[in-house]
Amino acid sequence: MQEDPDEISKLLRLKRFEQPTPDYFERFLEEFKDRQRAQLLREPAWRIAWDRMWAFLGEQMRPRLGYGLASTAVLAAAAIASFNILESRSVEVASAPEQQHPAAQTASLNLNADQVQLPDLPSLTPSTAHTASLNTPRYVMDARPVSYEPPSSF
Amino acid sequence: MDIAAISSQPLAKLLGASAMAEEVPVNPDIELVARTQAGDARAFDELVIKYSPRLYGLVYNMTSNHEDANDLLQEVFAKAFRSINGFRGKSSFYTWIHSIAVNMTINFLKKRGRRFQMSLDDVDLNIQNDKEFIELTATSSPVRQADLSELQQKLNESMLKLSPEHRAVVTMFDIQGMPHAEISKILGVSEGTIRSRLFYAHRQLQAHLDEFRKR
Repeated sequence: MQEDPDEISKLLRLKRFEQPTPDYFERFLEEFKDRQRAQLLREPAWRIAWDRMWAFLGEQMRPRLGYGLASTAVLAAAAIASFNILESRSVEVASAPEQQHPAAQTASLNLNADQVQLPDLPSLTPSTAHTASLNTPRYVMDARPVSYEPPSSF
Repeated sequence: MDIAAISSQPLAKLLGASAMAEEVPVNPDIELVARTQAGDARAFDELVIKYSPRLYGLVYNMTSNHEDANDLLQEVFAKAFRSINGFRGKSSFYTWIHSIAVNMTINFLKKRGRRFQMSLDDVDLNIQNDKEFIELTATSSPVRQADLSELQQKLNESMLKLSPEHRAVVTMFDIQGMPHAEISKILGVSEGTIRSRLFYAHRQLQAHLDEFRKR
């Protein structure tokens, strides 16, 4: 046995007859005012000032403020990033001659000695292997540098 | 005056400008909102008096608890009062305050979960004269077998089986008689979504009330 689909709507409409006591809405406004006053007394001054500031700024100002803050953050991030890049480059430039000089100086200073004492070389580890391979001499055969890669022409 | 400039101004200023430009009948809500924005707290009291019965119905029928409905409604008006300076009249005040009430009630219901007891208002005795009530009691329906308080209990139990979102749609459409378009504006979803939620909710309610009828 199927019910009339409208019957649910009709039954639900009966819920409109569930009503609070007649004087409820008269008391409601008084309660609202009392609560507002009590909240104002309870809230710290900074909170009231903060709320008023936001109310003053209004919803229209908030997106603009958001854009402003976002662009400031982007600019700050860009400035920090570029500062870091410049700083790392200057460190590289400053440290590069320092790495070569001691070895060269030691070698030239000891040339007159009976035995040439080679400076302590760092042990070749996998992390330094690539750097070391870049520094190894490349031999030139038939006026063309030897390529380590297989020829691509067939 | 360009649109961007208009939208960035408080309603009170715009109202003054437009009233000077031409004598057009002003929506009483807009006038009350403008006065509230200008600092007239009595204007907001008028809005509270005007909207509290309707908003109470909305919150009460979603919570099925008078005390919760009262507390929530107080918070709804408090929030509306705090943020009324941000109201620019893009939607009607009616839609705006209904959105606040629905969203706050949905959040409340999600937090409350199942830990609560029903606290129902009395059924107005005028129901005995209602045409639909007379029709329902005359035909084969749960109404005929149940007395009024049992029916009220069952209807509220059935409503509480629905998710807060479905309950909101049923309350606004079936109980308060709002059109789909208005509900879609309040909830910020399409009318298609409203129709589909209603269809699903009615099916669930029907299944629950069928069980009640079989007892």
